[in-house]
Amino acid sequence: MNVAGADRNRRLITAGAGTALALVMGLALLAGFRLATQIRSSITALQTASELQTYPGVLTQQLTALRQRLETREYTGQAHAELAGTVGRFNGDIRQLATRGKLQSAQLQEAVQMWQAYRPVLAPILAFSGEPYVDTDAGSSLSESGKLYYGNVRQAQLLAKQNVGRLHRLLSAVTRSLEAQTSGAAARLRALLSGGVLAAFVLAAAAAYLQLTRIRHERAAREAQEQTRDILKTVREGFFLLDADYKIGSVWSEALTHIFDRSDFAGLSFEKLLENRVPPNTLATAMKYIKLLWGDRAHENLMKSINPLGQLEISMDNGRGGKETRYLQFDFHRVLGPKGVKHVLCSVSDITSNVLLAKELQEAQENANAQVDMMVGMMHVDPLQLGSFLDTTQTGLQLINAILKEPARTDAEFRKKLGGLFRELHSIKGEASALNLMSIAQRVHRLEDMVSELKKKAELSGNDFLPMVLKLDELLAHLRGVREMATRLTALKDSATSGADAPRSSAAERPGGRSGEDLTPTMQALAEKLGRDHRKAFRLTLSGLANVPAPYVATVKDCLIQMLRNSAVHGIEPCEARRALAKSDVGAVRVDFRRSGDGYELVFEDDGAGISPQALKDAAVRKSIITAEEAASMDTRSAMALIFRPGFSTQEEVTMDAGRGVGMDVVARTVYGLGGKIGVSTNPGRFTRFKIVLPAAEAASSAVA
Amino acid sequence: MSVGQVNGAGGRRSLKLLIVDDSNIMRRRIERSQQFEELEVVGTAGNGIEALEMFHKTDPDMVTMDLTMPQMDGIECISKLVQLKPAVRILVISALADKATAVEAMERGANGFLNKPFTDRQLNEAIAELMS
Repeated sequence: MNVAGADRNRRLITAGAGTALALVMGLALLAGFRLATQIRSSITALQTASELQTYPGVLTQQLTALRQRLETREYTGQAHAELAGTVGRFNGDIRQLATRGKLQSAQLQEAVQMWQAYRPVLAPILAFSGEPYVDTDAGSSLSESGKLYYGNVRQAQLLAKQNVGRLHRLLSAVTRSLEAQTSGAAARLRALLSGGVLAAFVLAAAAAYLQLTRIRHERAAREAQEQTRDILKTVREGFFLLDADYKIGSVWSEALTHIFDRSDFAGLSFEKLLENRVPPNTLATAMKYIKLLWGDRAHENLMKSINPLGQLEISMDNGRGGKETRYLQFDFHRVLGPKGVKHVLCSVSDITSNVLLAKELQEAQENANAQVDMMVGMMHVDPLQLGSFLDTTQTGLQLINAILKEPARTDAEFRKKLGGLFRELHSIKGEASALNLMSIAQRVHRLEDMVSELKKKAELSGNDFLPMVLKLDELLAHLRGVREMATRLTALKDSATSGADAPRSSAAERPGGRSGEDLTPTMQALAEKLGRDHRKAFRLTLSGLANVPAPYVATVKDCLIQMLRNSAVHGIEPCEARRALAKSDVGAVRVDFRRSGDGYELVFEDDGAGISPQALKDAAVRKSIITAEEAASMDTRSAMALIFRPGFSTQEEVTMDAGRGVGMDVVARTVYGLGGKIGVSTNPGRFTRFKIVLPAAEAASSAVA
Repeated sequence: MSVGQVNGAGGRRSLKLLIVDDSNIMRRRIERSQQFEELEVVGTAGNGIEALEMFHKTDPDMVTMDLTMPQMDGIECISKLVQLKPAVRILVISALADKATAVEAMERGANGFLNKPFTDRQLNEAIAELMS
């Protein structure tokens, strides 16, 4: 503002000085012109005066010549004419000098007076005409008029002779005075011209100075422009001005081009800038906000606090034909002019990485919290059980991976894949829940959800399985984390107990040598959890589980988990129902593992609702596992066998523990795989009993291998 | 700009305030927490319709306005109040924290926006800004 004012003042001063100088020069030229005109007339006068001063002499000579001719009776015509001419010129010139030359001097006045004295004398001479001579016998003699003429000539000649010196001096003086006058004027003209030249020099110097100043200013302005350009080119934020029509001005920062992948901003309306990149209602809010910025209703701080574009999610082309999401932060500042808001300065920055980082941090925080929860959970789990779980899960996930990699083309093949995946996932989830490792159980549950979603799809393709691969990787990474943590926990526990207690006996060192891990704590923990989760009260009695041979531990565990879950969800009734049936409030679940002949026998029994063959048949028909006709012709035994069919479950609601249609079929499959047998007996309203017979462990290990 | 009228007795400027909120507790909280001597609470209302009635009765200079209310919500009420008296100054006090709602309220004619929950200091600052 100040710089501009000073600049304007300087310009006014220089323009004023320039005009004054030009005016001076004009006046000098005008005066010079007048002087030159004056000098010209002075020179003419001088020429006249110079000629004039010769006239008295010439006149005297001519009068003398005329007198002599009259005396010698010679021809006088020529001399008379010359005299008349001289008198005429004398007369004219002196009058001209006296009047036109505007010369006022005593000498000229005197000369004029003297000349006036000549005139009466010369007048009769000039008036004479005719022949001054008469011819007589004695020769030519003066006629009467001739005598008079002669007398006049003589008188004039005498006057002229008498006055010639004086008149000549007077006229010379006039000439000198004129000369002085002219040279004076010439000197003035010279001075004037010098002044003019000086003024011209000054003007030229001033013009040069002005030009230099202008160049300096232009350079400064250019530098300022360059600096502005550099700033706009380098700054990472997008900057632009919005006018009262919400249109972008002609200057904007380079970053804007990268942020919006376009460069035609000048004159572009703000609405067009965001159109198709944000949802319509967001755009409408944005435009309302911008409109509010032009009003004076809200303070700057309030406007800042309600800025709806502080973190704007926009969708941009990613250059590969798709869309990508970016987060932009808009800030608005009013630019005030004398008449209120002149522009709105808008700055935009791409805060995508910040937003994503914040999200990652949040996720990391959640993960950390989950890990702490898990660690607390793991502290209550026997390290041996945990290790065994992790090993089994690792194997299970490898199996899942193998299933995913299996080549498949037809829809049936894909669906078979899904079935396989489902069973393995379900089994892992069951174990994780049993150990209360909820972080793992939830992850597997999500994978199961994905499989369920895929099952609903009409058509399946290989691509549908890709998201599962990613989730599976995540689960594997999580398991690695769990394993690491387990190692650390074990190390921690060992260091805390070393020296104090005798080292815990590991499974291999248990009496019997060939027995695997004791499943009792795992099952009790699972029972407690299931009771809690499903609000069922039951007591689990376990016997012989410490003697399960190592090759059967995993199988027995899988089977028990599944059967225990089924009991908790389907079998054991709620307290009120039990009371109504005159049963004790607390249900009983009994598990017995014992040697039987060459092999082993596992009996699982609960005193719950039992299984109704009709209910099984209805469910199987509903799930299209069998047709209604098949159901009608089915006997009780075959109906009970439905429970071992793949995809069968009577629980409608999907929970973490049951209801996904996988369960007893997994158990049956595993048992058959080991060369064993499974059977079920039930009495509706009284009990359900599963009996699993397994061959000798040696045979099983060879079968597994 | 100052709105209001000169009181006969002391010659002190007095601004009439109407409090609109469907929560009785919130109405009392605003009334008690505001610390301006020149503000005189002339009425309270629990919804938009009551607010309009009280507005006709008391002709307030300032209004604190809740947005989520039964019968007539705050946004609609703001439009009506501004139509009745363009010079009225309205402070929106709402738990709706999204910026779009704030912009909408401002567009309808509100002059300030305060998010619930608020501290006494925030309330007084918002009122002071409204009075300036």
